[in-house]
Amino acid sequence: MPPKIALRGLRHEYVNPFTRERVLALDGLDLEVGAGEFLTVVGPSGCGKSTLLGILAGLIPPTRGAVLVDGRAVTGPGRDRGVVFQEFAILPWRTVERNIAHGLEIQGVPRAERAATVRRFVELVGLTGFERKYPHELSGGMRQRVAVARTLAANPEVMLMDEPFASVDAQTRITLQEELNAIAQATGKTILFVTHNVEEAVFLGDRCCVLSRRPGRVKALVRVDIPRARRTWTLFTSDPSFGATKDHVLRLVREEVGGEESRP
Amino acid sequence: MTPRVETAALGLGVLGAALGAWSLAAATLPLPDYYLPPPTAVLGALTDLTAKGILPTYVARSLERILLAAVTGLLVGVPIGLVLGMSGRVSQFCYPLLNFFQSVSGIAWLPLMLVWFGFGERTILVAVNYTVLFPLIFNTLLGVRSVPRLYVNALRTMGAPRWRIVTDVLVPGALPGIATGLRLGLAYGWRALIAAEMLVGAQGLGYMIFNAQSFHQTARIMLGMGMIGVLWVVLDYFLLRPLEDATIARWGLVQR
Repeated sequence: MPPKIALRGLRHEYVNPFTRERVLALDGLDLEVGAGEFLTVVGPSGCGKSTLLGILAGLIPPTRGAVLVDGRAVTGPGRDRGVVFQEFAILPWRTVERNIAHGLEIQGVPRAERAATVRRFVELVGLTGFERKYPHELSGGMRQRVAVARTLAANPEVMLMDEPFASVDAQTRITLQEELNAIAQATGKTILFVTHNVEEAVFLGDRCCVLSRRPGRVKALVRVDIPRARRTWTLFTSDPSFGATKDHVLRLVREEVGGEESRP
Repeated sequence: MTPRVETAALGLGVLGAALGAWSLAAATLPLPDYYLPPPTAVLGALTDLTAKGILPTYVARSLERILLAAVTGLLVGVPIGLVLGMSGRVSQFCYPLLNFFQSVSGIAWLPLMLVWFGFGERTILVAVNYTVLFPLIFNTLLGVRSVPRLYVNALRTMGAPRWRIVTDVLVPGALPGIATGLRLGLAYGWRALIAAEMLVGAQGLGYMIFNAQSFHQTARIMLGMGMIGVLWVVLDYFLLRPLEDATIARWGLVQR
């Protein structure tokens, strides 16, 4: 079966607008993601993780290389690839339900069907009772839930997630990770999830892709052989293979960081 | 007492004290009557001019002119500002131009406008509309430019066409700028209107206080000045604030 996503010989170079330096973010990156696979991408900060995601989303045209989804070249953003951004990208002037409905509105889905879908996803991400609130009335974790629900409701084939839980508190993050795991299991979507948190990467991924320091390439692909059903933090952390896999990935990342900021 | 009532009581106290001091000064200082008329004389002018129908007519004229300018300003200035703000290169070119025309206030234009449009309603309307328009265009442009790129990208990844990005992101995102532009534009426009009415002399509050000066009717001058201030406060409280409360304050884009 051909891969859902294929990146071949990807290279990206840009000029930092403030320092006017040329930055080689990615060079010679090859990667394949299977249909229905949950792939997490980790790497040292500044290794081009977010650039990679932006290229896949079609928001950044790469300098060189092929980006294929279902064998077709990506030429721009499209609703087959939904994105959950690192910062809160939901619109402040739309209520929770209207934010979640936004993708469906754009697709021209009729009102009644839209309302039903929105209700389902509001429930799925645990926002019942907050439908009429505006984003500024919600906590950070709730806002990111809206963002996840908005992307899910639009029903893309591929979900691209750029450190979506980086700016929520630790407790909420654990809940959101478990929820995302359940959603991945229930929907079977292809997900590419970028993070700098090794534990998160191992907890969520079917495979975990470690990027090298800049210019980013694929340093290693580590399979996580723990069934999705066993992925709650209490079960997961007690699984003997979790510790070993985490240490392995952590070691790979630390080799790239090169000494400083290397404490886990 | 609730804090609200306390604030109101304090305000009334300060106002009362100021009126008392004014009355005392008017009664005791060795000055001719027209120099500093007491508050009662201003009150007398108010009842007198209201009874004669002059004050209501002039207030209506001035309000009509400023509101007309507000509506035209919104209809013309906002679309121009949006279009300019959406195009990076055009906005870079227009920024200094708009800044320039914004600073040459309507009052500075008046002599030239009198030559072009004569002593009449046309000059007043052109001057006020001009003054309202530029801050509106300028701040709408800034408003569009300040919309986070992230919101635009989020919509693009949902497959939104360009017009949808305009209606769903750029216009609501520019509203804080539009509100600032309207507020500034009306504040400048209100000043320009009074000045234009003084020079052109076709009714209105500006005409009233300028005219009163020729007859040493100082109480009328003070009444007119008071009305100019009061009307602005009313305009702000009943028009601008509710508009902002229903939109940008509701969305958490500005703090109250």
